[in-house]
Amino acid sequence: MTSDTATTPVSVPRTGFPSIPWIELFKHAVLMVGALIVIAPFLVMVSTSFKSQNEIESQSGGFFGSQEQFVDHFCAANNPAEECVATPVIFNYSTAFTRVPLLRFLLNGVIVTVSIFVCQVIIALPCAYALSKLRWWGKNVVFGLVLFCLLIPIHAIAVPLYLLITKLGLLNTYASLIIPSTISVFGIFLMRQFFMTVPDDLIDAARMDGISEFGIVWRVMAPTAFPALLAFGIFSVVAHWNDYFWPRMVVTGNEMIYTPPLGMRVYQADLEGITYGPMMATATVIVIPLVIAFLLAQRRFIEGITLSGMK
Amino acid sequence: MTSLNISNVSKSFGSARVLEDISLTINDGEFISLVGPSGCGKSTLLRIIAGLESQDAGTIALGERAIDGVRPSRRNLAMVFQSYALYPHLTVAQNIGVPLTMRQLSHWERLPVVGRFLPGAAAKRRIIRAAVEEAARSLDIGHLLDRKPGQLSGGQRQRVAVGRALVRQPEAFLLDEPLSNLDAKLRVHMRTEIAELHRTLGATFIYVTHDQAEAMTMSDRIAVMMHGRLLQVAPPHEVYSDPTNIAVAEFIGSPKINTFPAEVAGDGTAIVMGAALGRVQNGYRGAATIGVRPESLRIGQPPGRLAGTLRHVENLGNEYFLHVEVDGLPSRVVARVGHDHAPFSLGAPVGLDWPAGRAHVFDQAGGQIGRVNGAVSPFVGVVNG
Amino acid sequence: MANSGTQARAIPYLFSLPALLLILALLLLPMLISLGLSLTDYTLGAPDVEFVWFENFERIFTRSTYMKMLSATFWYVIIVVPGSIALGLGAALLINSLTVGKGFYRTVFFLPVMATLVAMAMVWEFMLHPTLGIVNEGLEGLCAVPGITAIGFFETGCADGFPHWLGERETALWVLCFIGIWQAVGFNMVLYMAGLTAIPRELYNAASVDGADSAWDRFRLVTWPMLGPTNVFVLTITAIRSFQAFDTVDMLTEGGPSKSTYVIMYAIFEKGVQQNLIGVGTAITVLFMAFVFLLTFLQRYLVERRVHYA
Repeated sequence: MTSDTATTPVSVPRTGFPSIPWIELFKHAVLMVGALIVIAPFLVMVSTSFKSQNEIESQSGGFFGSQEQFVDHFCAANNPAEECVATPVIFNYSTAFTRVPLLRFLLNGVIVTVSIFVCQVIIALPCAYALSKLRWWGKNVVFGLVLFCLLIPIHAIAVPLYLLITKLGLLNTYASLIIPSTISVFGIFLMRQFFMTVPDDLIDAARMDGISEFGIVWRVMAPTAFPALLAFGIFSVVAHWNDYFWPRMVVTGNEMIYTPPLGMRVYQADLEGITYGPMMATATVIVIPLVIAFLLAQRRFIEGITLSGMK
Repeated sequence: MTSLNISNVSKSFGSARVLEDISLTINDGEFISLVGPSGCGKSTLLRIIAGLESQDAGTIALGERAIDGVRPSRRNLAMVFQSYALYPHLTVAQNIGVPLTMRQLSHWERLPVVGRFLPGAAAKRRIIRAAVEEAARSLDIGHLLDRKPGQLSGGQRQRVAVGRALVRQPEAFLLDEPLSNLDAKLRVHMRTEIAELHRTLGATFIYVTHDQAEAMTMSDRIAVMMHGRLLQVAPPHEVYSDPTNIAVAEFIGSPKINTFPAEVAGDGTAIVMGAALGRVQNGYRGAATIGVRPESLRIGQPPGRLAGTLRHVENLGNEYFLHVEVDGLPSRVVARVGHDHAPFSLGAPVGLDWPAGRAHVFDQAGGQIGRVNGAVSPFVGVVNG
Repeated sequence: MANSGTQARAIPYLFSLPALLLILALLLLPMLISLGLSLTDYTLGAPDVEFVWFENFERIFTRSTYMKMLSATFWYVIIVVPGSIALGLGAALLINSLTVGKGFYRTVFFLPVMATLVAMAMVWEFMLHPTLGIVNEGLEGLCAVPGITAIGFFETGCADGFPHWLGERETALWVLCFIGIWQAVGFNMVLYMAGLTAIPRELYNAASVDGADSAWDRFRLVTWPMLGPTNVFVLTITAIRSFQAFDTVDMLTEGGPSKSTYVIMYAIFEKGVQQNLIGVGTAITVLFMAFVFLLTFLQRYLVERRVHYA
């Protein structure tokens, strides 16, 4: 009468029944199909960025393309043919960076996202500290205002903000990309919630040690709030790196201040897939930094991006 | 109803042995406590009995019927969980009724709205409702039936959890630290209630706790567990007065039993720190440990059996705990004396004394050798005071 | 001492002043301006402005362009929200019950959430290309499967060619919905996985002791009710995000063909920015804001009334 179910996993509520592997296998099969659909565009994107135009049109060459050298016709129009021989992958990626100032777009992306995050923190932290740890008349009104503003999606005020930027003559400037996002009520709310959990004793101890209120915000609260700041940073950077709606409104000419998503627009004008190789190379270059960062710090990213779950 | 037989049950989580060869028979209608420090395997044993966990080896049987591999719901055992595990979206009445609705209503009859119109469903629901009301009335929560668990106090939730177990009229109740989430006062009160419930129902109760006081006050028998082993199974008074192991002696009883390093000499005389104590009726010779409960100790004028210095007095109103420092002992000796005891002066030299028959002698491995037999030892040390 | 006291009293105001000014200038004021301008025929550069009262709104609810906008938005939301929620929940439940490979699937399904949507939209456009794309190529490959032409879609597809997807009025919105779902599933899945982890194990133990033997019983008795708060949250956030769909529309269809994908956010952009019809643009904005507020209040209501257990 000895039980022989030695390896039933602890968490399986139906104890005593040996787990049937094909149920697990079936789940894997279903998830695999889903995963394939989800990941297909990424595979197509990377694969196409490796291929020559011929291979793309004939749908041949396998995943990485044959890398057979070919003659670039645009180049050959003005130069001797032997100077215009190219390997597809090198051609695609070098075109991606030369046809449009892609490096500049990436740099712009960094400038804009970092500036936005820095401004958001500089403005949100002292306010969050005042809202969580100081007693003052009007505090509840201000906090109520913050809560109310949480409801306003940035998309809903885009047109008047666009008017404002236009009236100030800021169209096509970094300022137009950065200023509207400098205030993050969500950031204030989030940091305030986090500061609420910091014990008052810590702040009193800092005051006893002679640190000013300003010093408390930056030298006591900010370091304690590091995990929350990091999560918020990921949230903010990812959102603004990928943002397309707002830059689309305020950047109309001037390629030199394009952000990476706007860079994709250059290819949108091309008809009939003449340059799919370089286009996919551009897409890869734009998508890859965040994907790599995500793969390196998955938990932090998932935590950061689902932060809006706290609203 | 029948007895519950646990034979040779072992369990490991990964490389950690949680239960080692546990055998125990629980009689019909018995209130048995599984008691031990946290991590001793008592909860795992209970979960194996419930069917929530499977053992690596050994058998659980209700009477002659082995129930290994039987689903928890088919074992006819009810369980009260530490966190109560009430369904927060259901009312008290629905919570108590869940075991009945899950068993007596079909899938279709359980559907919201539609289920109500199926033939027979209404009648079954009426019967369930009656059973639920009956259980609630016996637990004094009849007026709470339409509330949600979130609106109840800790004690009320506890009753609902008991009600959910009660309503199925199971062969045995499994209770996993059911009182540990209550405040101290309510805990003492619920102790009595659960013991009375056991008496009225006459069903088997298997009660897991880390609180030796709960185990002592409620149980017919106590099973003391440590490091995955069953050390002693006996009625409370026996576990207290005749612990088979020094670990049991130290775990049961508050304040803790005092221990003294000792030796059993060649002629069987137990010697504590130079003082002969009495003769041990056993072949054991060599290093040993003597255990004396605080209430068996007497404090008098020095010298006494052992000389020491009074260092601290805890006044509990009706009694005092006296902390005495004895040279050569790593921890202080605690004596428990009545409130009518003579006044103390801290720092004063005192003599410690105890009736020889009240000392337990344990061998080096911790097993009890026996009592020191005071009656047959003519050279028991001088008794002072 | 008195001086330092005054200073101390001023500190909270100094600390919140920058935030307050920006809230007023960049959030509240624009919102009020939106409300105001929606009642005018304002255009940038025009010499004078006239109050037209509710004419803009009247237009929205009568002109066929805006009716198409409302219908496209409605269908987009009504498809993407349940689609991405159901798939997100399904994926979370499946992944959560696995013994191996949880992390792998979570990573894969979350990738689209991270990726720049406009870039991925271009990739989808390429995949859906009528002649170069792998989608139609794959479908044509399926034509070789005997008997598949019994399915109406394949019958016409194999004979006359498969749809041009983004180029056809019947399919364009579906494609956008598909991409919307593709992007949102991972987000919802992660939220559901967090919700599932928060369910106490003891409840499942209690359920199996109480007689919930099948997976479905446990789902009905424990999982689904315990996911109540997560459900409400996922529902609102997915709905609000769907109302904001813009990137794919602007990149892939520009509202066409024949306004079949003319969703609200694209309409705001087109009218308010590109065509400089600020009055109409802000009126649509006000409508959009009304949707969002309605959803949020619905969420608050549900959270307070139904799913708040503690």
